[in-house]
Amino acid sequence: MSDHAHGAAHDDGHGGEFHSHFKSYFSVFVALCLFTLVSYAADKIQGLFPNRNVMTAIVLGIALCKALCVMLIFMHLKFERAWKYLLLAPTFILAATIPFALTPDIGSSYYTPTAPQILEHEAQEAQKAADKASGHHKSGHGDSEKKGSHH
Amino acid sequence: MTHTHPKPLKMGIPIPNSKLGMWLFLGTEIMFFTAFIGTYIVLRMGSPGWPTDVHVTHILIEAGAVNTFVLILSSFFVVLAHDALLGQKFARAWQYTLWTLILGCLFLGIKSVEYYGKWEHDILPGHIPENDKQAMDKVVRKFGAIVDTRLAAAFPKIPKREDQKSELDSKIAELKVKKDATAADKKELAEAEALDRLFTEQVDLKEHVRANWSLAFPLAAFDQYRTMDDSNEEWKMKYAAWKAEHPDLKDLNEYLHDGKLGPVTLHEVNDRVEKLKEDEHLGPLLASLQPAHPILYGNLFASNYFLMTGFHAIHVIIGLFMFTLVLKKGSRLSLNDATFVENIGLYWHFVDLVWIFLFPLIYIV
Repeated sequence: MSDHAHGAAHDDGHGGEFHSHFKSYFSVFVALCLFTLVSYAADKIQGLFPNRNVMTAIVLGIALCKALCVMLIFMHLKFERAWKYLLLAPTFILAATIPFALTPDIGSSYYTPTAPQILEHEAQEAQKAADKASGHHKSGHGDSEKKGSHH
Repeated sequence: MTHTHPKPLKMGIPIPNSKLGMWLFLGTEIMFFTAFIGTYIVLRMGSPGWPTDVHVTHILIEAGAVNTFVLILSSFFVVLAHDALLGQKFARAWQYTLWTLILGCLFLGIKSVEYYGKWEHDILPGHIPENDKQAMDKVVRKFGAIVDTRLAAAFPKIPKREDQKSELDSKIAELKVKKDATAADKKELAEAEALDRLFTEQVDLKEHVRANWSLAFPLAAFDQYRTMDDSNEEWKMKYAAWKAEHPDLKDLNEYLHDGKLGPVTLHEVNDRVEKLKEDEHLGPLLASLQPAHPILYGNLFASNYFLMTGFHAIHVIIGLFMFTLVLKKGSRLSLNDATFVENIGLYWHFVDLVWIFLFPLIYIV
């Protein structure tokens, strides 16, 4: 796979015909389209997943596959040398650090959160539970979310 | 007798400097976008009740899917452009680049349709009420702004609102008693009366929301209720006089439930807005007033959405500009441009990569 594929790198003039890589590019393109379709389908059949996290994991996994296709083939990283690790490893480490660093502060909390939205959300959930328990629909407070869904 | 020669030193990385430069830049761009995307992920994790219903957030998944396909196709074309260039098919390379540019513009077109939809529904950072009270306040504020604008337009020379209102009142009084009123006068009177009604309706809504009393309780009864004191003979006399003036209104106690007035609800306020919009005279004046629907975490959602997609769109625009640099060369395109085209291709693939992650994170999850 090596030199032949290297022919797609910047200098090729020396020796021999340049071979177009149309076929491989086209197969990757088709694969990307299929992945996109699967993602779109996953969204449409949301209800069939056991929970939202499963769908999230699947959809982000598909996105990772697409990203790898683009990076390795279109961006030619599969055929580049070890410098790609030297360059991208610190990038990814720093990139992953932000969510990890912020998660304990913002993504979760050790103390009881009192942000207005969280209190409002809890009130709405309590209202929904009360409505369900009492079995009749209350209008007014707590209606806002339902009202929002038919604009 | 073999002696091993020391291996020749290899200086640097075996790629052109511009390509290394582009990769280093892309490395920083990866960190740039993961800052926003990582923040979005973390904020969502910490926000129970984040809006996911697409009818609330007005997210068009089809638009996102089409945009994903458009960018993937443009990535494919840009890699074919480079491929064609290396194969010395310069005209074809130029055409593929043109197609990439067109697809990039298509992406921006679809994005602007989505942005317009957001603007239309006022899904903008800082504009979204997050609970019922904020929603009611927003309706009152917007309604007030409409009334203020119309009053100021009707009486541009008068600076203060109260003076504009008294001017309106005297104008109505004048037109009502005018003899030999022309059609123009009648029209003017109708317009002035509509504006007067608009003013009254807004004050009604404003006072109810301010006092947090149900719209079923009439504004005319507010003062009586506030000073209500059954044991006070003086108040009873005033109340009797007031009742005589307002025969159409019920007795105060009939408005109370368990001795208290019910609170104003968003449902009531929105119903009132819908009713006013259907009114023959007020409807046209209230075209820009919409019922308000709160979205929990709506402002955080809008900020994140516009930050991520906005920066991505800026990167797309920069990419399109770079493609025009290639297209400008026209028939002068040659093998010397291979590195340039490759680097622009790398940038464009990166833009595609970011979108590949944005699509599931914003549209699907």
